[in-house]
Amino acid sequence: MSVARPAARRLISGHLAAVPGAGCAAAPSTAPCHHQLFAHQFHSSPQLSARRRPRFANVRASDMGLMDEKQIDQFTKEKFPKYTPEEIEQLRNRYSPEQIAALEAGEAAIDPRDLTVQGRLRVDPYTLPYIDDFAETQPIIDKRPKWKDAPDPNARFMNMDEFTQDLIRWADKFQQGDVTGMLKTLVDFVPEEFQKVPEAQWPGEVREEAHKAFQNYLEAEVNKQKDRDPDEMGSGPTDADVLQYILERSAMTDNNRTTDTSLAHALPSKVPGVAGLYKAAIDPADKGLDDIGIYQDLKKRTGMSVQNILRLQTKMLVWRHVSNQTRLGKVRKTSIMYVAGNGDGWLGIGEAKSTEGSIASMKARLLAIRNMRPIRRYENRTIYGTVEAKVSGTIVKMAARPPGFGLRVSHRIFEMCRCAGIYDLAATIPRSRNPMNSVKAAFKALCSQPDPEEIAIGRGKKLVDARKVYYGGDVY
Amino acid sequence: MGIYSVTNACIHLQNAARARLGLTSIPNTKYNLRLALAMHRAGLLASVTRGGPRPPPPEALLAYESEPVTNANVATRRIWVGLKYWNNEPVLRNVKPVSKPSRLVTATLDELNKVARGFPVGQLKGLTLGETLFLSTDRGVLEVREALERRVGGLVLCVVS
Repeated sequence: MSVARPAARRLISGHLAAVPGAGCAAAPSTAPCHHQLFAHQFHSSPQLSARRRPRFANVRASDMGLMDEKQIDQFTKEKFPKYTPEEIEQLRNRYSPEQIAALEAGEAAIDPRDLTVQGRLRVDPYTLPYIDDFAETQPIIDKRPKWKDAPDPNARFMNMDEFTQDLIRWADKFQQGDVTGMLKTLVDFVPEEFQKVPEAQWPGEVREEAHKAFQNYLEAEVNKQKDRDPDEMGSGPTDADVLQYILERSAMTDNNRTTDTSLAHALPSKVPGVAGLYKAAIDPADKGLDDIGIYQDLKKRTGMSVQNILRLQTKMLVWRHVSNQTRLGKVRKTSIMYVAGNGDGWLGIGEAKSTEGSIASMKARLLAIRNMRPIRRYENRTIYGTVEAKVSGTIVKMAARPPGFGLRVSHRIFEMCRCAGIYDLAATIPRSRNPMNSVKAAFKALCSQPDPEEIAIGRGKKLVDARKVYYGGDVY
Repeated sequence: MGIYSVTNACIHLQNAARARLGLTSIPNTKYNLRLALAMHRAGLLASVTRGGPRPPPPEALLAYESEPVTNANVATRRIWVGLKYWNNEPVLRNVKPVSKPSRLVTATLDELNKVARGFPVGQLKGLTLGETLFLSTDRGVLEVREALERRVGGLVLCVVS
């Protein structure tokens, strides 16, 4: 684009307004002239005459004696020495032949002198914030190197025969008495042509014969061992060897390959960051009431014991299905509102959503208990005065009532009153009766009761409750 | 004697309290002055001061003497009313006029007795916690409890809470 565009533009303008060029103005229709013009115009580099020429000739550093070849060579030998044959041998142990070939090619491609003369510290924006040539592993900064291969993805548990062979291979490591050679395996009992073929492909009679011969051989060996005097026995496997066999020998067909990759890492018994999250420590103070650990967080937050938490009254007041419409479809959840109270002036509401109804229910219940707060009550049975609260389009009006009036309220407010310990109340919901909003508005109303003492202080009056004056306050 | 200025003053006081004003003024009429003093007696107002178009200095609210009222300046006289707040809430929160020029509401002593005990009578709703009633009687503007004490009924001006 960058090259073609201006050329194309010049092409057009060349037709519209005669571009000054050698001979073009004189004979614009001649083909060679056009050819000449365009050939030069399609070059992206400026013309030779347009190139910048320094006004003063530069002087090479070596001409000025700034570069001493001896010192360069010495520095190069010191800092960028070649690999010694021993080092290459070590590298061979660690790297595959292809990697070694790449290493050698890299070594051959770069002249150490260039490193000395041309080596610069990087200043480009992508420079690492520290200086390092990555020749050594620094345990604090670098990740732990993983030299071993990943586990064999095709490994499976050994079957009976493989297990036997593996056991024999292990036992052969321990030279015993007069046993000169290794124990024979099943493969030694089949004809030559089947020895390289897996057992599954052996003909039936060959396999049967081999198994029979192998069985006889093993029995003979066992008998031989039995007959032998135990004192004559040489150095057999020790207890430690047996333990090592049990604990460390792989039970899979991976030839005891060990690995240190993340795939092979077994999870530690206590995963950092996860330990204790899913298996709650059982507090003996709970007396076995909360072994699953549902209330442990609540215990810390509220300071209540599990016994007291379980004694609280809770009630599910609103239960509805909600869904979030996404481009992948509807994500349905259950939204639940709980109310909790101790029946003695404390009340809280909790609202939670979850795809699982039971989880939403539990969350809402715990939230309700967490949100519990004291509700002002007159004579521990009704509210103070009349209160009104509005949430969205829902208005709840509440009014105190005399003893014995009862709860003449709608069913959700009735449950709230039961949890809070209110026994005489009148409430109306004159406008919208949305379940969630009516519960919220009722809670808001209960929390916003006027305080007669505060009103009296504000007006500078003395306040006496006449009901508590006569009959010694015994007015029921 | 019309009550429109009293009705307007009631609403103005409510607006001023909701705007969290400390000092406000209402027109200088005898009716307004009596209502303001009745509210002051009830502890709803901090101060009631007669003054001119400029507010009196706050430190001199209780002992302020304005210039003598003359024919020339009577139209500019105002009643300066100090509002009260407690716990970040206005003491005079709601002022609802009951009577208005087009409908005067009166209450007899019997009716006042019922209303003061929380029972509704006619136009009036029963008083609830923190509510009080101001009446214009032949003994001046009184709070409902003062009126009951003096056994008089009268014109119901406003309900205050």
